[in-house]
Amino acid sequence: MSGVVRIDPTLCRGHAICNLLFSEGIALDHWGYGRVVDPRLGDRRSLKRAARAAAACPNRAIVVEEVPDPGGTR
Amino acid sequence: MIGAAPPNVTPARPVPDFAVGGVGDPGTRLLSGPDPSAGAEPYAHHLARMGPLPPPAMTDDLRALTRESGLLGRGGGGFPLARKLEAAIAAPGVPLVVVNASESEPASRKDRTLCRNRPHLVLDGAAAAAAIVGADEVTVHVHRGSTDAHDGLVRAMGERRAGGAVDPLWRISLGPDRYVAGESSAIASLLAGGDARPRFSRIPMATRGPSGRPTVVSNAETMAHLGFLLRSGPGFWRSGGTPAAPGSRLLTLTGSVPVPGRVLELVGRGTIGEILSEAGHFAVPSAVLVGGYGGTWLDGETAWQTPFDPEALRCVGAQPGCGLIGVLPHGACGLTETARLVRYLADESAGQCGPCVAGLPAMADACEALARGDLRRRGIRRLESVTQLVSGGGACSHPDGAARLVRSALDIFEDDVARHLAGKACRGSSHPPVFSVPLVDPGSEWR
Repeated sequence: MSGVVRIDPTLCRGHAICNLLFSEGIALDHWGYGRVVDPRLGDRRSLKRAARAAAACPNRAIVVEEVPDPGGTR
Repeated sequence: MIGAAPPNVTPARPVPDFAVGGVGDPGTRLLSGPDPSAGAEPYAHHLARMGPLPPPAMTDDLRALTRESGLLGRGGGGFPLARKLEAAIAAPGVPLVVVNASESEPASRKDRTLCRNRPHLVLDGAAAAAAIVGADEVTVHVHRGSTDAHDGLVRAMGERRAGGAVDPLWRISLGPDRYVAGESSAIASLLAGGDARPRFSRIPMATRGPSGRPTVVSNAETMAHLGFLLRSGPGFWRSGGTPAAPGSRLLTLTGSVPVPGRVLELVGRGTIGEILSEAGHFAVPSAVLVGGYGGTWLDGETAWQTPFDPEALRCVGAQPGCGLIGVLPHGACGLTETARLVRYLADESAGQCGPCVAGLPAMADACEALARGDLRRRGIRRLESVTQLVSGGGACSHPDGAARLVRSALDIFEDDVARHLAGKACRGSSHPPVFSVPLVDPGSEWR
């Protein structure tokens, strides 16, 4: 299972909770706004952590999409 | 004359492989036809001069011609029109077709000139685009303050209805007079019932726009090119540009030129020097601002020798943008001009994304301090790092443009930076403003 994480910059207000929950995937820029380190989420663990960060964002600025494995069960 | 050419020998001077002209000038393509004083070309004249458009029922032909042309969008992004249209065809739902005639760039006049003098060419292209994607209506978007473009379009739509044109249903949309409100996702957002502010999306708008429908937003000049090439054929149309960036190109001259705001069409490959010479400006200027207010400064010598096409401009770090060529005269201060432009861009932010909210005001403050002579080395380094920080971080490319402008200014006006840092008086700072900026009303609505 893999996925993709993105931040909608028009919604991010720099609460930085994502960085607390998913520090290896979302860094903070100079002013404290979230910046995705690498949009690709390679494994189940990073997908789970990204989803937790997305759920915790007060502005719902984080979008996580699951990408089903090619040939895998849906 | 020394060594005069013997008779029957062609002169050494090569025949220019380009033409530059304004509305009604011979050698132009989109702008050929009646003089500017004649106003909008009537529909009957337009048809008599250009011939009829292939009928909308020939969808496959229209589609193939568009693909063969290789037409790249003229709003600044340079995205292939055919790919946008194909994406909209492949996506579920009836596509929305939008002509972006808002021309937010303060000094640009090309789209306005088309809507005022050649509105039928723009509408022809839009009607063809609608036929290609299977849309039965087209929305033409203009800023509320752009009354001449609006009036030209409305009159043209009426003429077409009376003239029995096989057209989509025309709609006119009016948007707020704000810089970023003319960005394509901002227009699509407004049409979907939201604010005219840029939107973030993971999916291209041509596949699914803010309304949920495939949304094709194309610049007015792009549509005019489509209207032209469907008649002339892609071969002739392509000859107006370079193999990688085919077709002619509309330009607006501004700053210290004989007629600021003059729109010219470049057919073939001409350098900025050749273009300016055609417009009556014969001396190499101090610097040239290329592509728009969020564009790139080039030093005068470099600009003079650089052809105005995407590849040649890329080699010197610039891009055509909206086709703006701004001339900075000797004696004016490029840093003072940059500071005014950056403040304008910062004030015109939609106030949504971090790079714009935090980064642009910081850049404007630093540029103003530099122009006054109040910035130190460390401040310059910080300014440089802010230009890196804001790039690529927003929903649209507004912060990227401001960063590009500042970076090129620090590069091109290196000597001025040193002088300003040393606290020496800058003779140019008392020069009257060269590039004018509109007054920004930060409290205005985004609808």
